[in-house]
Amino acid sequence: MDFVCNFPFFSILISLFSGTICSVLPEKAAKAVNRIVIAAVGVMSGILLLYLLGTGESFVYWMGHFPAPWGNEIRAGILEAGMALFFCIIMYLSMAGGAHKLFDEVEESKHNLYYILINLLLSSLLALVYTNDMFTAYVFVEINTISACGLIMIRQVGRTIEAAVRYMIMSLLGSGLFLFGLCIMYDLTGHLLMSNIKESVALLIQSGEYQIPLIVSVALMCIGLCIKSALFPFHAWLPDAYGYSTVSSAAILSSLVSKGYIFLLIKIIYRVIGFEIFNNTRIIDVLFVFGLLGMIFGSLSAIKENDIRRMIAYSSVAQIGYIYMGFGMGTQAGMVASVFHILSHAATKSLLFIAAIGLTEVSGGSRKFIDLTGAGYRNKWAGVAFTAGSLSMVGVPLFSGFISKLLFAQAAVQVEGKMLAALIVLGISTVLNAIYFMKTVIRIYATTGDTSYPCITFKDMKVHAIVLLFFIVLNIILGVSSQPIVNMIEQGLAMFA
Amino acid sequence: MGPNLWINYGEAVAAILFCIGFTNLLLQTNLIKKIIGLNIMDSAIYLFLAEKGYIAGRTAPIVTDGITSVEAYINPIPSGLVLTGIVVSVSVSALMLSLTIRLYIRYHSLDLDEIAAQLKKEGR
Amino acid sequence: MYLILLPILFPILAGLCLLVYRKEPERKLLTAFTGICLVITGALVVSALTLARQSLTLFYLTRTLPICFRIDEISVLFSLLTVIVFICAGLFAFVYMKHEQKEKRYYGFYLMVFGVLNALCFAGNLITFYLFFELLTLSSLPLVLHTGTKEAIMAGLKYLFYSLCGAYASLFGIYFLYHNCDTLTFTAGGVLQVSPASPEGRFLLLIAFVMILGFGVKAGMFPMHAWLPTAHPAAPAPASAALSAVIVKAGVLALIRVIYYIFGADFLRGSWVQTAWLTLALVTVFMGSMLAYREPVLKKRLAYSTVSQLSYILFGLAVMHPDAFTGGLLHVLAHGFIKGSLFLIAGAIIYTTGKTKVHELRGIGKEMPLTMWCYTIVSLGLIGIPPTGGFVSKWYLAIGGLAGDIGIFRYIGPIVLLISALLTAGYLLPLTIQGFFPGADYDYNTLQKREPARLMTIPILFMTILSVIVGLFPNIITDYLTEFVSTLL
Repeated sequence: MDFVCNFPFFSILISLFSGTICSVLPEKAAKAVNRIVIAAVGVMSGILLLYLLGTGESFVYWMGHFPAPWGNEIRAGILEAGMALFFCIIMYLSMAGGAHKLFDEVEESKHNLYYILINLLLSSLLALVYTNDMFTAYVFVEINTISACGLIMIRQVGRTIEAAVRYMIMSLLGSGLFLFGLCIMYDLTGHLLMSNIKESVALLIQSGEYQIPLIVSVALMCIGLCIKSALFPFHAWLPDAYGYSTVSSAAILSSLVSKGYIFLLIKIIYRVIGFEIFNNTRIIDVLFVFGLLGMIFGSLSAIKENDIRRMIAYSSVAQIGYIYMGFGMGTQAGMVASVFHILSHAATKSLLFIAAIGLTEVSGGSRKFIDLTGAGYRNKWAGVAFTAGSLSMVGVPLFSGFISKLLFAQAAVQVEGKMLAALIVLGISTVLNAIYFMKTVIRIYATTGDTSYPCITFKDMKVHAIVLLFFIVLNIILGVSSQPIVNMIEQGLAMFA
Repeated sequence: MGPNLWINYGEAVAAILFCIGFTNLLLQTNLIKKIIGLNIMDSAIYLFLAEKGYIAGRTAPIVTDGITSVEAYINPIPSGLVLTGIVVSVSVSALMLSLTIRLYIRYHSLDLDEIAAQLKKEGR
Repeated sequence: MYLILLPILFPILAGLCLLVYRKEPERKLLTAFTGICLVITGALVVSALTLARQSLTLFYLTRTLPICFRIDEISVLFSLLTVIVFICAGLFAFVYMKHEQKEKRYYGFYLMVFGVLNALCFAGNLITFYLFFELLTLSSLPLVLHTGTKEAIMAGLKYLFYSLCGAYASLFGIYFLYHNCDTLTFTAGGVLQVSPASPEGRFLLLIAFVMILGFGVKAGMFPMHAWLPTAHPAAPAPASAALSAVIVKAGVLALIRVIYYIFGADFLRGSWVQTAWLTLALVTVFMGSMLAYREPVLKKRLAYSTVSQLSYILFGLAVMHPDAFTGGLLHVLAHGFIKGSLFLIAGAIIYTTGKTKVHELRGIGKEMPLTMWCYTIVSLGLIGIPPTGGFVSKWYLAIGGLAGDIGIFRYIGPIVLLISALLTAGYLLPLTIQGFFPGADYDYNTLQKREPARLMTIPILFMTILSVIVGLFPNIITDYLTEFVSTLL
């Protein structure tokens, strides 16, 4: 076994322990440690990805010296390594882009805490990505929830605490269901490692026994993860949580935390239940329908919203609907589209949040549309970045959003029964997206704005501007040279089976 | 279905308890009651696991009297899972309680709807 | 070969430079820069046209979707029209935009639209075309929004949503075509291998109809025409000239590409789609003229007239007969020049007098004789009186309509065209009559010569002359077109 194979374990461990270390360090050192850890994990995931692309095979890593089916395992394939790398990039950029706001919004004494939470979050995300053990997944789901809750409430205003409570309640419902489903699954198969469960499930399906408990278990796990990733209609907690927390938190929550759960669901579908078996259940139809509903109702709520941050948050509901619609198609192509959309949405949504903060800063801190009039002129970088993000969301070619819509449509065309519904809803949702995003873009470039607010130039916001630039470039890369990435996703999914 | 349910009455009870806890967590407006619901829900799952792990007539997996035969002991893994789960649920409950305290200090209420109404009045 | 990219990239980059440039530069410098850029782009386009029939694949969007460019006869026709109209309207804008603010932004986006339009003309497959079609909407939006008044913003939003809905309907079709065709490269005669009678064929007919409706939005076809009369008056006059003369033609270009280069005329001939398309086109022709007839605001009246005239072209395409197709293409040119100069004239009138309604313009011919003479000549052209451009194109349209294999439409078509021509006379000529013959009670003492600046009259005059040339020497164009039209039909 090569040394590189230790990297997943290392990255989980250093992010976990650096969190603990951060608590005793002075603030500046904690910040540096945080950044270095994220960068280091990113580099390690990158090397791992290259290594895996070279070997073309996934590997299993024993935690401790117990072999399966007793020990705890980590498993890494192309998709896992790629996802970890992507998560690190987004997290680094979001942290850098929102850093200046952090100091305004969070109490002095709590800055350290913030870095601890971020490190914890990173480790739990990595664990969700890499783990091969269901119960470990559950434990890290809870750690993820707790640190995400901390990220929401670290800005101490009434709204965020209330949002954190609502988030906690919904998350706990979700993890309760997930745990219950997991227990039933354990009861049925006697295993906790994903690969072993899959073998037993295949045997169970063949024998035709225990079909109902099996379906119940799968359904419970799915619903649990759907609630946690804010699929419509479980999205009530989302706008407040994303809308009022500090900007880095919002960007990370929307683009990473919910995606972590979705990635876990993908792993469960492929590695625990088996793609074919999962597609033969009715569950995919349910996911499909709720995905479609989410796409429409999320956008409708976004149109009604009068607050830019909450609008972006509602748009997340719609985008998560896209991802579940891809699951619901029950084909490989649909899954590839969903995974691509995870990447594209993460890149776009964090861009939008970070750009929105730039716009509100030059509008007296107000997030109401009326105050944002002309903000694109006062903060040019944020304006351009917001426009780019909006175009990507609307699905204009050359941006990542277009490719994911194209992939969804191609997937939909192959599924007889769901083709029309998917394409029509895709169309309606695109137009609705266009309505609220272009409305905002036009608003920030209207010439009749209040000119009493100060203008911001490049000098005042170097880091912010560079981060925005990176995000735009990321979006365009995803939009222009999507083929290698799609190939990688296909390879990665093939490794799952 | 019927006979199975009768044999596995422990699991059935656990499932019913889970539902009670779940609905409490979902529908109660009082935060403390919600947290109680959360604990009922989690405990129900532990009950389920313990029930599953227990094999009638065997003892806890601690080697006594030098008997090393597997036949004498129950499966230890569910118990281990219960322990891990309890740790998680304790920390989650603690977090929820601390959030509740913060809200109570600010708004002098435990009722989530009332707090939401007050927040709306604040307009932020 | 990469020369083909220059006329696309150069104006887009120049426009971006203008937009990014922080200060509002001095007016002379700005106009000089824009003017030079326009002329250089024109030269680049002309030099790129020598590369006809070669194709350039830039990169692959996904495995089977290349972004590629290729120049053929249609590209030549449309890009020449674009160049002429854009340079003329640009020159006109140098004076006109004096009274508008944020000129830098206007010229920046103007140049970008120019580049995007060139790309649209040169696009070699459907996906490239779609890409630039979307970009065209987005880059031309700021031109509509330019004044920034509430009215302009509402008009801009309307333009945006109509265009996006249309573009999405077409994208919907592209998804299916992509699934059913081996390639989406534009090929004369179509790439579809399916027979229209098979189940997939029947479904593809529906798709064809959806795409006609979708791209028809840009060309102002009946159910989705309402953005045109709103967007045109809101935009500054040179922008409306570009909009009406060229940008809406992008919809026509799209339909030519989709119907003749992807589906193939044989696939649609005689199907219900053709009937529906003919009906829609004729309804639009008639309705546009009627609406123009009762519209008091000059620019709005011209916009309605655009709605009607564009459907002349669509009728020519829908007949699927070589003569009608030639007529349609001729009308693209003729209408481009005529409507371009009409909007510029409207702009000149607004610029000098500030009046927008037709009935306020009594005696305008006495004040601005040269402009109004141009107006009269191009109006006659639009009505279709020889020897102007409109006559020849309408002649071909009518001949094609009569000869086409389109059942009852063979008679309805030419009749509707004729009635609409009468209506055209009815809504364009009153201004001439009022302008030159203000009546006995007109107070000649207040009369003053207010011919607009030379930079305004020259583009108008130039386009007027061109429209007459199209009418006098149509053979140059028809000879050029005949050969390749026969490969299409």
